[in-house]
Amino acid sequence: MIPAIRSEFRKFFTTRLWWGMLIPTVLAGGLFAWLAATLIAGSQQPGAAPAPDLDNPQMVSTVYTFGLNISRLILLAIGVLMVGSEYRHKTITGTFLGTPKRARVMGAKVVALLVIGALYGVVQTAASFGVGAFIINNRGFPILPDGAARTLALSLLVLGLWGLIGLGAGILIPNQVAALLIAVGVAWIVEPLLGLLFASQDWGKSIAPYLPSNATNAVVNAIETNPNGATQLSWWAGALALLAYAVVMAGLGTWRTLRADIS
Amino acid sequence: MSLGRPEFVGHIEVRGLTKRFGSFTAVDHLDFEVRPGRITGFLGPNGSGKTTTLRMLLGLIRPTAGTATIDGHRYVEIDNPLTVVGSALEATNFHPGRTGRDHLRVQAAVAGVPDRRVDELLELVGIPAAARKRAGGYSMGMRQRLGLAAALLGDPKVIILDEPANGLDPEGIRWLRGFLRQLADEGRTLLISSHMLSEVEQTVDDVVIIANGERVAQGTVQELRGDPTAYVRTSDPERLADALTSRGLTVTPKGAGLRVTTEDLAVVGDAAHAADVAIHELRAEQTHLEELFFNLTESEEHRNRNLVGVSTADLPPPTGAPIDPALLVDAPQEDRR
Repeated sequence: MIPAIRSEFRKFFTTRLWWGMLIPTVLAGGLFAWLAATLIAGSQQPGAAPAPDLDNPQMVSTVYTFGLNISRLILLAIGVLMVGSEYRHKTITGTFLGTPKRARVMGAKVVALLVIGALYGVVQTAASFGVGAFIINNRGFPILPDGAARTLALSLLVLGLWGLIGLGAGILIPNQVAALLIAVGVAWIVEPLLGLLFASQDWGKSIAPYLPSNATNAVVNAIETNPNGATQLSWWAGALALLAYAVVMAGLGTWRTLRADIS
Repeated sequence: MSLGRPEFVGHIEVRGLTKRFGSFTAVDHLDFEVRPGRITGFLGPNGSGKTTTLRMLLGLIRPTAGTATIDGHRYVEIDNPLTVVGSALEATNFHPGRTGRDHLRVQAAVAGVPDRRVDELLELVGIPAAARKRAGGYSMGMRQRLGLAAALLGDPKVIILDEPANGLDPEGIRWLRGFLRQLADEGRTLLISSHMLSEVEQTVDDVVIIANGERVAQGTVQELRGDPTAYVRTSDPERLADALTSRGLTVTPKGAGLRVTTEDLAVVGDAAHAADVAIHELRAEQTHLEELFFNLTESEEHRNRNLVGVSTADLPPPTGAPIDPALLVDAPQEDRR
Protein backbone atom coordinates (compact mmCIF):
# COMPACT_ATOMS: atom_id res chain seq x y z
CA MET A 1 0.00 0.00 0.00
CA ILE A 2 2.83 2.43 0.89
CA PRO A 3 4.47 2.19 -2.59
CA ALA A 4 1.10 2.82 -4.24
CA ILE A 5 0.53 5.90 -2.06
CA ARG A 6 4.01 7.23 -2.82
CA SER A 7 3.27 6.73 -6.51
CA GLU A 8 0.04 8.75 -6.18
CA PHE A 9 1.93 11.65 -4.62
CA ARG A 10 4.48 11.57 -7.42
CA LYS A 11 1.66 11.59 -9.98
CA PHE A 12 0.13 14.64 -8.33
CA PHE A 13 3.28 16.70 -7.94
CA THR A 14 4.79 15.96 -11.37
CA THR A 15 2.26 17.86 -13.47
CA ARG A 16 1.40 21.52 -13.39
CA LEU A 17 -1.99 20.82 -11.85
CA TRP A 18 -0.86 21.10 -8.24
CA TRP A 19 0.38 24.66 -8.34
CA GLY A 20 -2.22 25.68 -10.89
CA MET A 21 -4.81 24.74 -8.29
CA LEU A 22 -2.86 26.03 -5.30
CA ILE A 23 -2.70 29.63 -6.54
CA PRO A 24 -6.49 30.13 -6.68
CA THR A 25 -6.74 28.39 -3.31
CA VAL A 26 -4.45 30.97 -1.72
CA LEU A 27 -6.15 33.86 -3.49
CA ALA A 28 -9.62 32.63 -2.53
CA GLY A 29 -8.53 32.18 1.08
CA GLY A 30 -7.20 35.73 1.40
CA LEU A 31 -9.80 37.54 -0.70
CA PHE A 32 -12.83 35.86 0.81
CA ALA A 33 -11.59 36.44 4.36
CA TRP A 34 -11.23 40.12 3.49
CA LEU A 35 -14.66 40.15 1.83
CA ALA A 36 -16.39 38.45 4.77
CA ALA A 37 -14.72 40.66 7.38
CA THR A 38 -15.56 43.80 5.43
CA LEU A 39 -19.20 42.77 4.91
CA ILE A 40 -19.70 41.91 8.56
CA ALA A 41 -18.06 45.12 9.69
CA GLY A 42 -20.11 47.10 7.18
CA SER A 43 -23.39 45.68 8.47
CA GLN A 44 -22.99 47.63 11.70
CA GLN A 45 -25.28 50.62 11.06
CA PRO A 46 -25.64 53.18 13.83
CA GLY A 47 -29.27 53.33 14.99
CA ALA A 48 -30.26 50.03 13.38
CA ALA A 49 -30.75 46.83 15.32
CA PRO A 50 -27.30 45.52 16.24
CA ALA A 51 -26.13 42.82 13.81
CA PRO A 52 -23.62 40.18 14.99
CA ASP A 53 -20.17 41.73 14.78
CA LEU A 54 -16.68 40.31 14.63
CA ASP A 55 -16.76 39.68 18.37
CA ASN A 56 -19.24 36.86 17.67
CA PRO A 57 -17.30 33.54 17.42
CA GLN A 58 -19.47 32.28 14.56
CA MET A 59 -18.76 35.45 12.61
CA VAL A 60 -15.05 34.96 13.15
CA SER A 61 -15.34 31.35 11.93
CA THR A 62 -17.16 32.63 8.89
CA VAL A 63 -14.35 35.05 8.09
CA TYR A 64 -11.74 32.31 8.40
CA THR A 65 -13.67 29.77 6.32
CA PHE A 66 -15.48 31.86 3.71
CA GLY A 67 -12.82 30.93 1.16
CA LEU A 68 -13.79 27.28 1.57
CA ASN A 69 -16.68 28.00 -0.79
CA ILE A 70 -14.09 28.19 -3.55
CA SER A 71 -11.38 25.87 -2.30
CA ARG A 72 -13.79 23.02 -1.69
CA LEU A 73 -14.67 23.18 -5.39
CA ILE A 74 -10.95 23.16 -6.19
CA LEU A 75 -10.44 20.04 -4.10
CA LEU A 76 -13.53 18.54 -5.70
CA ALA A 77 -11.93 19.11 -9.10
CA ILE A 78 -8.60 17.67 -7.93
CA GLY A 79 -10.40 14.58 -6.70
CA VAL A 80 -12.18 14.14 -10.03
CA LEU A 81 -8.93 14.64 -11.98
CA MET A 82 -7.05 12.15 -9.85
CA VAL A 83 -9.03 9.38 -11.54
CA GLY A 84 -10.32 11.14 -14.64
CA SER A 85 -6.93 12.10 -16.03
CA GLU A 86 -5.75 8.52 -15.61
CA TYR A 87 -8.55 7.32 -17.85
CA ARG A 88 -8.20 10.22 -20.23
CA HIS A 89 -4.46 9.74 -20.79
CA LYS A 90 -4.68 5.96 -20.34
CA THR A 91 -2.11 6.02 -17.57
CA ILE A 92 -4.62 3.86 -15.68
CA THR A 93 -3.14 0.92 -17.62
CA GLY A 94 0.28 1.51 -16.09
CA THR A 95 -1.26 2.11 -12.70
CA PHE A 96 -3.12 -1.21 -12.71
CA LEU A 97 -0.05 -3.00 -14.09
CA GLY A 98 1.93 -1.77 -11.11
CA THR A 99 -0.85 -2.45 -8.62
CA PRO A 100 -3.19 -5.04 -10.12
CA LYS A 101 -5.33 -5.16 -6.98
CA ARG A 102 -7.49 -2.25 -8.03
CA ALA A 103 -9.11 -1.61 -4.67
CA ARG A 104 -5.61 -0.95 -3.35
CA VAL A 105 -5.11 1.70 -6.03
CA MET A 106 -8.32 3.42 -4.95
CA GLY A 107 -7.27 3.16 -1.31
CA ALA A 108 -3.94 4.79 -2.13
CA LYS A 109 -5.75 7.61 -3.90
CA VAL A 110 -7.99 8.14 -0.86
CA VAL A 111 -5.01 8.44 1.48
CA ALA A 112 -3.13 10.70 -0.92
CA LEU A 113 -6.18 12.94 -1.38
CA LEU A 114 -6.80 13.32 2.34
CA VAL A 115 -3.20 14.45 2.78
CA ILE A 116 -3.36 16.72 -0.28
CA GLY A 117 -6.65 18.17 1.01
CA ALA A 118 -5.00 18.87 4.36
CA LEU A 119 -2.00 20.50 2.66
CA TYR A 120 -4.25 22.76 0.61
CA GLY A 121 -6.22 23.37 3.78
CA VAL A 122 -3.09 24.55 5.60
CA VAL A 123 -2.29 26.95 2.77
CA GLN A 124 -5.83 28.24 2.42
CA THR A 125 -6.22 28.59 6.20
CA ALA A 126 -2.94 30.44 6.49
CA ALA A 127 -4.13 32.90 3.85
CA SER A 128 -7.59 33.30 5.40
CA PHE A 129 -6.27 33.58 8.92
CA GLY A 130 -3.54 36.04 7.91
CA VAL A 131 -5.98 38.43 6.24
CA GLY A 132 -8.93 37.83 8.60
CA ALA A 133 -6.97 38.10 11.84
CA PHE A 134 -5.39 41.35 10.64
CA ILE A 135 -8.81 42.96 10.09
CA ILE A 136 -10.35 41.55 13.28
CA ASN A 137 -7.37 42.67 15.32
CA ASN A 138 -7.60 46.15 13.80
CA ARG A 139 -11.22 46.34 14.97
CA GLY A 140 -10.01 45.48 18.46
CA PHE A 141 -11.61 42.05 18.80
CA PRO A 142 -9.82 38.84 19.84
CA ILE A 143 -8.57 36.93 16.82
CA LEU A 144 -9.02 33.47 18.35
CA PRO A 145 -12.32 33.39 20.28
CA ASP A 146 -13.75 30.10 21.59
CA GLY A 147 -13.89 27.45 18.91
CA ALA A 148 -11.96 29.40 16.27
CA ALA A 149 -8.90 27.18 16.56
CA ARG A 150 -11.10 24.11 16.10
CA THR A 151 -12.68 25.71 13.05
CA LEU A 152 -9.26 26.30 11.53
CA ALA A 153 -8.25 22.69 12.13
CA LEU A 154 -11.52 21.35 10.77
CA SER A 155 -11.19 23.27 7.52
CA LEU A 156 -8.33 20.89 6.68
CA LEU A 157 -10.69 17.96 7.20
CA VAL A 158 -13.38 19.62 5.11
CA LEU A 159 -11.05 20.02 2.14
CA GLY A 160 -9.89 16.43 2.44
CA LEU A 161 -13.50 15.26 2.45
CA TRP A 162 -14.40 17.38 -0.57
CA GLY A 163 -11.42 15.86 -2.34
CA LEU A 164 -12.87 12.44 -1.57
CA ILE A 165 -16.28 13.44 -2.90
CA GLY A 166 -14.54 14.49 -6.13
CA LEU A 167 -12.63 11.20 -6.19
CA GLY A 168 -15.93 9.37 -5.79
CA ALA A 169 -17.42 11.30 -8.69
CA GLY A 170 -14.27 10.64 -10.73
CA ILE A 171 -14.36 6.90 -10.09
CA LEU A 172 -18.08 6.78 -10.78
CA ILE A 173 -17.84 8.76 -14.05
CA PRO A 174 -14.59 7.78 -15.80
CA ASN A 175 -15.08 10.42 -18.50
CA GLN A 176 -13.02 13.25 -17.07
CA VAL A 177 -14.79 16.14 -18.75
CA ALA A 178 -18.25 14.85 -17.92
CA ALA A 179 -17.24 14.12 -14.33
CA LEU A 180 -15.80 17.62 -13.87
CA LEU A 181 -18.81 19.37 -15.35
CA ILE A 182 -21.28 17.30 -13.40
CA ALA A 183 -19.42 17.47 -10.08
CA VAL A 184 -18.71 21.19 -10.15
CA GLY A 185 -22.09 21.98 -11.68
CA VAL A 186 -23.95 20.09 -9.00
CA ALA A 187 -21.81 21.37 -6.14
CA TRP A 188 -21.81 24.96 -7.28
CA ILE A 189 -25.24 25.51 -8.81
CA VAL A 190 -27.69 22.65 -8.36
CA GLU A 191 -26.96 21.91 -4.73
CA PRO A 192 -27.31 25.51 -3.44
CA LEU A 193 -30.59 25.84 -5.36
CA LEU A 194 -31.81 22.58 -3.81
CA GLY A 195 -30.75 23.99 -0.45
CA LEU A 196 -32.95 27.05 -0.97
CA LEU A 197 -35.85 24.86 -2.08
CA PHE A 198 -35.58 22.48 0.84
CA ALA A 199 -35.19 25.28 3.36
CA SER A 200 -38.35 26.97 2.09
CA GLN A 201 -40.50 23.84 2.46
CA ASP A 202 -41.64 22.24 5.68
CA TRP A 203 -40.81 18.77 4.41
CA GLY A 204 -37.39 19.88 3.22
CA LYS A 205 -36.25 21.49 6.46
CA SER A 206 -35.08 18.17 7.88
CA ILE A 207 -33.13 17.30 4.72
CA ALA A 208 -31.46 20.64 4.10
CA PRO A 209 -28.80 20.39 6.84
CA TYR A 210 -27.43 17.23 5.23
CA LEU A 211 -26.72 18.88 1.89
CA PRO A 212 -22.98 19.13 1.27
CA SER A 213 -22.65 22.91 1.52
CA ASN A 214 -24.70 23.09 4.71
CA ALA A 215 -22.84 20.14 6.18
CA THR A 216 -19.59 21.94 5.34
CA ASN A 217 -20.73 25.08 7.14
CA ALA A 218 -21.72 22.95 10.11
CA VAL A 219 -18.25 21.41 10.35
CA VAL A 220 -16.51 24.78 10.44
CA ASN A 221 -19.26 26.51 12.47
CA ALA A 222 -19.87 29.17 9.83
CA ILE A 223 -23.18 30.97 9.42
CA GLU A 224 -25.72 29.40 7.09
CA THR A 225 -25.77 30.87 3.63
CA ASN A 226 -29.47 30.03 3.36
CA PRO A 227 -31.62 32.85 4.73
CA ASN A 228 -34.32 30.55 6.10
CA GLY A 229 -31.72 28.01 7.08
CA ALA A 230 -32.84 25.09 9.12
CA THR A 231 -30.97 24.06 12.22
CA GLN A 232 -27.31 23.30 11.72
CA LEU A 233 -25.78 19.88 12.37
CA SER A 234 -23.05 19.46 14.94
CA TRP A 235 -19.56 19.52 13.44
CA TRP A 236 -19.06 15.77 13.59
CA ALA A 237 -22.44 15.03 12.07
CA GLY A 238 -21.60 17.43 9.25
CA ALA A 239 -18.28 15.66 8.70
CA LEU A 240 -20.04 12.28 8.67
CA ALA A 241 -22.56 13.57 6.13
CA LEU A 242 -19.72 14.68 3.83
CA LEU A 243 -17.95 11.38 4.36
CA ALA A 244 -21.13 9.52 3.46
CA TYR A 245 -21.34 11.30 0.10
CA ALA A 246 -17.72 10.37 -0.61
CA VAL A 247 -18.07 6.76 0.52
CA VAL A 248 -21.26 6.07 -1.42
CA MET A 249 -19.89 7.43 -4.69
CA ALA A 250 -16.37 6.02 -4.33
CA GLY A 251 -17.81 2.69 -3.22
CA LEU A 252 -20.14 2.37 -6.21
CA GLY A 253 -17.41 3.50 -8.57
CA THR A 254 -14.82 1.13 -7.13
CA TRP A 255 -17.22 -1.77 -7.25
CA ARG A 256 -17.60 -1.15 -10.96
CA THR A 257 -13.91 -0.43 -11.55
CA LEU A 258 -12.91 -3.77 -10.08
CA ARG A 259 -14.86 -5.48 -12.83
CA ALA A 260 -14.15 -3.18 -15.73
CA ASP A 261 -12.00 -4.17 -18.68
CA ILE A 262 -9.16 -1.72 -19.18
CA SER A 263 -8.44 -1.44 -22.87
CA MET B 1 23.23 -9.67 -13.93
CA SER B 2 20.91 -11.28 -11.46
CA LEU B 3 17.33 -11.19 -12.55
CA GLY B 4 15.24 -9.83 -9.73
CA ARG B 5 13.18 -12.71 -8.39
CA PRO B 6 14.71 -16.20 -8.58
CA GLU B 7 11.39 -17.91 -7.76
CA PHE B 8 10.12 -17.04 -11.23
CA VAL B 9 11.50 -18.75 -14.34
CA GLY B 10 9.23 -16.98 -16.78
CA HIS B 11 6.98 -19.66 -18.21
CA ILE B 12 3.80 -18.23 -19.70
CA GLU B 13 0.87 -20.53 -20.21
CA VAL B 14 -2.40 -19.67 -21.91
CA ARG B 15 -5.15 -22.29 -21.71
CA GLY B 16 -8.60 -22.09 -23.27
CA LEU B 17 -8.46 -18.31 -23.07
CA THR B 18 -11.67 -16.74 -24.36
CA LYS B 19 -13.02 -13.22 -24.39
CA ARG B 20 -16.39 -12.19 -25.69
CA PHE B 21 -17.47 -8.57 -25.91
CA GLY B 22 -21.22 -8.95 -26.30
CA SER B 23 -21.71 -11.14 -29.35
CA PHE B 24 -18.22 -10.46 -30.64
CA THR B 25 -15.65 -13.12 -29.79
CA ALA B 26 -12.28 -11.42 -29.68
CA VAL B 27 -10.30 -14.40 -28.39
CA ASP B 28 -11.57 -17.93 -28.87
CA HIS B 29 -10.26 -20.85 -26.80
CA LEU B 30 -6.68 -19.81 -27.28
CA ASP B 31 -3.91 -22.17 -26.14
CA PHE B 32 -0.20 -21.47 -26.30
CA GLU B 33 2.85 -21.32 -24.16
CA VAL B 34 5.94 -19.21 -24.03
CA ARG B 35 9.11 -20.99 -23.03
CA PRO B 36 11.49 -19.41 -20.55
CA GLY B 37 14.56 -17.65 -21.83
CA ARG B 38 13.31 -17.41 -25.42
CA ILE B 39 11.85 -14.70 -27.60
CA THR B 40 8.38 -15.56 -28.79
CA GLY B 41 6.72 -13.62 -31.56
CA PHE B 42 2.95 -13.27 -31.16
CA LEU B 43 1.76 -12.66 -34.67
CA GLY B 44 -1.53 -12.00 -36.33
CA PRO B 45 -3.31 -9.52 -38.57
CA ASN B 46 -4.64 -6.35 -37.00
CA GLY B 47 -7.77 -7.07 -34.98
CA SER B 48 -6.93 -10.75 -34.54
CA GLY B 49 -7.05 -10.48 -30.74
CA LYS B 50 -3.38 -10.04 -29.87
CA THR B 51 -3.79 -7.01 -27.65
CA THR B 52 -6.86 -8.45 -25.93
CA THR B 53 -4.89 -11.62 -25.19
CA LEU B 54 -1.96 -9.67 -23.76
CA ARG B 55 -4.28 -7.54 -21.65
CA MET B 56 -5.93 -10.67 -20.25
CA LEU B 57 -2.50 -12.07 -19.45
CA LEU B 58 -1.74 -8.83 -17.58
CA GLY B 59 -4.97 -8.77 -15.58
CA LEU B 60 -6.39 -5.71 -17.34
CA ILE B 61 -9.22 -7.55 -19.08
CA ARG B 62 -11.26 -10.28 -17.42
CA PRO B 63 -11.33 -13.45 -19.51
CA THR B 64 -14.76 -14.87 -20.29
CA ALA B 65 -13.19 -18.31 -19.84
CA GLY B 66 -9.80 -19.92 -19.57
CA THR B 67 -6.59 -18.91 -17.85
CA ALA B 68 -3.41 -17.04 -18.60
CA THR B 69 -0.63 -17.55 -16.09
CA ILE B 70 3.00 -16.71 -15.48
CA ASP B 71 4.78 -19.57 -13.72
CA GLY B 72 1.37 -20.80 -12.64
CA HIS B 73 0.25 -17.47 -11.15
CA ARG B 74 -2.35 -15.13 -12.49
CA TYR B 75 -0.85 -11.65 -12.90
CA VAL B 76 -3.05 -10.16 -10.17
CA GLU B 77 -1.77 -12.74 -7.70
CA ILE B 78 1.86 -11.75 -8.17
CA ASP B 79 3.19 -9.57 -5.40
CA ASN B 80 4.91 -6.45 -6.80
CA PRO B 81 4.39 -7.67 -10.38
CA LEU B 82 6.62 -5.05 -12.00
CA THR B 83 9.64 -6.93 -10.65
CA VAL B 84 8.48 -10.11 -12.40
CA VAL B 85 6.72 -8.98 -15.56
CA GLY B 86 7.56 -5.81 -17.45
CA SER B 87 5.23 -4.74 -20.20
CA ALA B 88 4.71 -1.99 -22.73
CA LEU B 89 1.26 -2.09 -24.27
CA GLU B 90 0.73 1.13 -26.17
CA ALA B 91 2.98 4.00 -26.91
CA THR B 92 0.25 6.45 -25.90
CA ASN B 93 -0.11 5.80 -22.20
CA PHE B 94 1.63 8.91 -20.95
CA HIS B 95 0.31 12.04 -19.33
CA PRO B 96 1.28 14.74 -21.82
CA GLY B 97 2.11 17.21 -19.05
CA ARG B 98 4.49 14.91 -17.21
CA THR B 99 8.11 14.42 -18.25
CA GLY B 100 9.21 11.00 -19.40
CA ARG B 101 11.53 10.77 -16.43
CA ASP B 102 8.74 11.57 -14.01
CA HIS B 103 6.52 9.02 -15.72
CA LEU B 104 9.15 6.41 -14.92
CA ARG B 105 9.52 7.75 -11.37
CA VAL B 106 5.79 7.25 -10.81
CA GLN B 107 6.17 3.59 -11.81
CA ALA B 108 9.46 3.30 -9.93
CA ALA B 109 7.69 4.26 -6.71
CA VAL B 110 5.29 1.34 -7.12
CA ALA B 111 8.05 -1.13 -7.97
CA GLY B 112 10.21 0.12 -5.11
CA VAL B 113 13.00 1.07 -7.49
CA PRO B 114 15.34 4.03 -6.84
CA ASP B 115 15.51 7.05 -9.15
CA ARG B 116 19.07 6.02 -10.03
CA ARG B 117 17.66 3.06 -11.96
CA VAL B 118 15.32 5.40 -13.83
CA ASP B 119 18.28 7.40 -15.11
CA GLU B 120 20.20 4.23 -16.01
CA LEU B 121 17.30 3.01 -18.11
CA LEU B 122 16.88 6.34 -19.86
CA GLU B 123 20.54 6.05 -20.88
CA LEU B 124 20.00 2.47 -21.96
CA VAL B 125 17.10 3.28 -24.30
CA GLY B 126 18.88 6.38 -25.53
CA ILE B 127 16.61 9.25 -24.44
CA PRO B 128 18.29 10.71 -21.31
CA ALA B 129 17.98 14.36 -22.38
CA ALA B 130 14.55 14.19 -23.98
CA ALA B 131 13.17 12.49 -20.88
CA ARG B 132 13.32 15.79 -19.02
CA LYS B 133 10.83 17.35 -21.41
CA ARG B 134 7.09 16.85 -21.16
CA ALA B 135 5.89 13.67 -22.86
CA GLY B 136 3.24 15.52 -24.88
CA GLY B 137 5.86 16.51 -27.45
CA TYR B 138 7.42 13.08 -27.91
CA SER B 139 7.65 11.37 -31.26
CA MET B 140 6.29 7.86 -31.65
CA GLY B 141 9.80 6.46 -31.55
CA MET B 142 10.56 8.23 -28.26
CA ARG B 143 7.31 6.97 -26.79
CA GLN B 144 8.24 3.43 -27.74
CA ARG B 145 11.63 3.82 -26.08
CA LEU B 146 10.09 5.32 -22.98
CA GLY B 147 7.60 2.47 -22.83
CA LEU B 148 10.46 0.01 -23.14
CA ALA B 149 12.30 1.71 -20.28
CA ALA B 150 9.14 1.49 -18.17
CA ALA B 151 8.86 -2.22 -18.89
CA LEU B 152 12.43 -2.79 -17.70
CA LEU B 153 12.19 -0.77 -14.47
CA GLY B 154 11.71 -3.68 -12.12
CA ASP B 155 14.39 -5.84 -13.76
CA PRO B 156 11.69 -8.34 -14.74
CA LYS B 157 12.16 -11.93 -15.81
CA VAL B 158 9.32 -11.69 -18.31
CA ILE B 159 8.95 -8.88 -20.82
CA ILE B 160 5.74 -8.41 -22.79
CA LEU B 161 5.72 -5.88 -25.62
CA ASP B 162 2.73 -5.01 -27.79
CA GLU B 163 3.87 -3.89 -31.26
CA PRO B 164 7.17 -2.44 -30.04
CA ALA B 165 8.37 -1.67 -33.55
CA ASN B 166 5.37 0.52 -34.43
CA GLY B 167 6.53 4.01 -35.22
CA LEU B 168 10.22 3.20 -35.22
CA ASP B 169 12.31 4.13 -38.23
CA PRO B 170 14.48 1.42 -39.86
CA GLU B 171 17.42 2.49 -37.71
CA GLY B 172 15.22 2.24 -34.61
CA ILE B 173 14.01 -1.22 -35.64
CA ARG B 174 17.60 -2.39 -36.04
CA TRP B 175 18.40 -0.99 -32.60
CA LEU B 176 15.32 -2.70 -31.15
CA ARG B 177 16.32 -6.08 -32.59
CA GLY B 178 19.74 -5.91 -30.99
CA PHE B 179 18.26 -4.71 -27.74
CA LEU B 180 15.69 -7.51 -27.56
CA ARG B 181 18.31 -10.12 -28.39
CA GLN B 182 20.48 -8.77 -25.58
CA LEU B 183 17.58 -9.00 -23.15
CA ALA B 184 16.96 -12.61 -24.15
CA ASP B 185 20.66 -13.43 -23.81
CA GLU B 186 20.42 -12.21 -20.24
CA GLY B 187 17.99 -15.05 -19.65
CA ARG B 188 14.71 -13.16 -19.90
CA THR B 189 11.53 -14.43 -21.49
CA LEU B 190 10.16 -12.13 -24.18
CA LEU B 191 6.71 -12.12 -25.72
CA ILE B 192 6.43 -9.66 -28.58
CA SER B 193 3.33 -9.04 -30.62
CA SER B 194 3.39 -7.77 -34.15
CA HIS B 195 1.20 -7.64 -37.23
CA MET B 196 4.32 -7.60 -39.42
CA LEU B 197 6.19 -10.85 -39.83
CA SER B 198 9.25 -9.08 -41.23
CA GLU B 199 9.59 -6.95 -38.10
CA VAL B 200 10.12 -9.90 -35.83
CA GLU B 201 11.09 -12.86 -37.99
CA GLN B 202 14.80 -12.24 -37.60
CA THR B 203 14.51 -11.62 -33.89
CA VAL B 204 12.28 -14.33 -32.48
CA ASP B 205 12.98 -17.96 -31.65
CA ASP B 206 9.37 -19.13 -31.46
CA VAL B 207 6.20 -18.01 -33.16
CA VAL B 208 2.55 -18.10 -32.19
CA ILE B 209 0.23 -17.02 -34.98
CA ILE B 210 -3.41 -16.17 -34.36
CA ALA B 211 -6.25 -15.07 -36.57
CA ASN B 212 -9.79 -14.27 -35.52
CA GLY B 213 -8.78 -14.96 -31.93
CA GLU B 214 -7.81 -18.55 -32.69
CA ARG B 215 -4.38 -20.09 -32.86
CA VAL B 216 -3.30 -20.89 -36.39
CA ALA B 217 0.23 -22.05 -35.80
CA GLN B 218 2.80 -22.42 -33.07
CA GLY B 219 6.39 -23.59 -33.25
CA THR B 220 9.95 -22.51 -33.61
CA VAL B 221 10.75 -20.24 -36.51
CA GLN B 222 12.91 -23.04 -37.95
CA GLU B 223 10.05 -25.54 -37.92
CA LEU B 224 7.54 -23.14 -39.40
CA ARG B 225 9.86 -21.90 -42.10
CA GLY B 226 10.19 -25.43 -43.39
CA ASP B 227 12.90 -26.37 -45.87
CA PRO B 228 13.84 -23.67 -48.35
CA THR B 229 12.45 -24.33 -51.82
CA ALA B 230 13.01 -23.00 -55.30
CA TYR B 231 10.51 -22.76 -58.14
CA VAL B 232 11.63 -23.46 -61.64
CA ARG B 233 9.84 -23.40 -64.99
CA THR B 234 11.51 -25.08 -67.89
CA SER B 235 11.04 -26.28 -71.47
CA ASP B 236 11.19 -29.92 -70.34
CA PRO B 237 10.05 -30.50 -66.80
CA GLU B 238 10.41 -34.27 -66.84
CA ARG B 239 13.99 -34.19 -67.98
CA LEU B 240 14.95 -31.50 -65.48
CA ALA B 241 13.19 -33.39 -62.70
CA ASP B 242 15.24 -36.48 -63.48
CA ALA B 243 18.42 -34.45 -63.54
CA LEU B 244 17.65 -32.83 -60.20
CA THR B 245 16.60 -36.09 -58.58
CA SER B 246 19.81 -37.73 -59.68
CA ARG B 247 21.64 -34.96 -57.82
CA GLY B 248 19.78 -35.99 -54.67
CA LEU B 249 17.23 -33.15 -54.60
CA THR B 250 13.54 -33.58 -53.86
CA VAL B 251 11.37 -32.43 -56.72
CA THR B 252 7.60 -32.06 -56.87
CA PRO B 253 5.51 -30.69 -59.72
CA LYS B 254 3.94 -27.32 -59.01
CA GLY B 255 1.69 -25.65 -61.56
CA ALA B 256 3.52 -25.40 -64.86
CA GLY B 257 6.86 -25.86 -63.18
CA LEU B 258 8.69 -27.72 -60.46
CA ARG B 259 9.34 -27.12 -56.78
CA VAL B 260 12.84 -28.07 -55.73
CA THR B 261 13.86 -28.42 -52.09
CA THR B 262 17.03 -26.38 -52.00
CA GLU B 263 18.19 -22.91 -51.09
CA ASP B 264 20.88 -22.92 -53.78
CA LEU B 265 19.45 -21.70 -57.08
CA ALA B 266 22.80 -22.29 -58.80
CA VAL B 267 22.41 -26.03 -58.31
CA VAL B 268 19.17 -25.94 -60.28
CA GLY B 269 20.69 -23.78 -62.98
CA ASP B 270 23.72 -26.03 -63.31
CA ALA B 271 21.56 -29.14 -63.48
CA ALA B 272 19.43 -27.56 -66.23
CA HIS B 273 22.50 -26.54 -68.15
CA ALA B 274 24.00 -30.04 -67.86
CA ALA B 275 20.67 -31.61 -68.92
CA ASP B 276 20.46 -29.14 -71.80
CA VAL B 277 17.00 -27.77 -70.98
CA ALA B 278 16.05 -24.10 -71.14
CA ILE B 279 15.02 -22.30 -67.97
CA HIS B 280 12.08 -19.92 -68.27
CA GLU B 281 11.86 -18.94 -64.63
CA LEU B 282 13.89 -19.66 -61.54
CA ARG B 283 13.34 -18.11 -58.13
CA ALA B 284 13.49 -18.81 -54.42
CA GLU B 285 10.03 -19.46 -53.01
CA GLN B 286 8.52 -17.88 -49.93
CA THR B 287 9.11 -19.88 -46.83
CA HIS B 288 6.18 -21.76 -45.40
CA LEU B 289 6.02 -19.19 -42.59
CA GLU B 290 5.88 -16.24 -44.97
CA GLU B 291 3.26 -17.95 -47.09
CA LEU B 292 1.19 -18.85 -44.06
CA PHE B 293 1.29 -15.34 -42.72
CA PHE B 294 0.67 -13.76 -46.08
CA ASN B 295 -2.40 -15.91 -46.65
CA LEU B 296 -3.69 -14.96 -43.23
CA THR B 297 -3.38 -11.25 -43.75
CA GLU B 298 -4.77 -11.40 -47.26
CA SER B 299 -7.62 -13.87 -47.06
CA GLU B 300 -11.07 -12.36 -46.80
CA GLU B 301 -12.17 -14.46 -43.81
CA HIS B 302 -9.23 -13.23 -41.76
CA ARG B 303 -9.66 -9.61 -42.57
CA ASN B 304 -9.77 -7.44 -39.53
CA ARG B 305 -13.27 -7.80 -38.20
CA ASN B 306 -12.97 -4.68 -36.07
CA LEU B 307 -12.06 -2.58 -38.99
CA VAL B 308 -14.67 -0.03 -39.89
CA GLY B 309 -12.29 2.31 -41.63
CA VAL B 310 -10.32 1.65 -44.74
CA SER B 311 -9.70 -1.59 -46.52
CA THR B 312 -6.82 -2.01 -48.91
CA ALA B 313 -9.30 -1.64 -51.76
CA ASP B 314 -9.83 1.98 -50.74
CA LEU B 315 -6.17 2.81 -50.88
CA PRO B 316 -4.72 4.57 -53.89
CA PRO B 317 -3.14 2.36 -56.54
CA PRO B 318 0.58 1.76 -56.14
CA THR B 319 1.69 4.60 -58.33
CA GLY B 320 4.31 5.73 -55.91
CA ALA B 321 2.14 8.60 -54.78
CA PRO B 322 2.43 9.25 -51.05
CA ILE B 323 -0.30 7.66 -48.96
CA ASP B 324 -1.69 9.41 -45.94
CA PRO B 325 -0.16 7.38 -43.10
CA ALA B 326 -3.34 7.85 -41.06
CA LEU B 327 -5.15 5.65 -43.56
CA LEU B 328 -2.70 2.86 -43.04
CA VAL B 329 -2.69 2.70 -39.29
CA ASP B 330 -5.50 0.21 -38.92
CA ALA B 331 -5.61 -1.23 -42.37
CA PRO B 332 -4.51 -4.83 -42.81
CA GLN B 333 -1.06 -4.54 -44.17
CA GLU B 334 0.51 -6.73 -46.73
CA ASP B 335 3.95 -7.87 -45.90
CA ARG B 336 5.61 -9.59 -48.76
CA ARG B 337 9.22 -9.22 -49.54
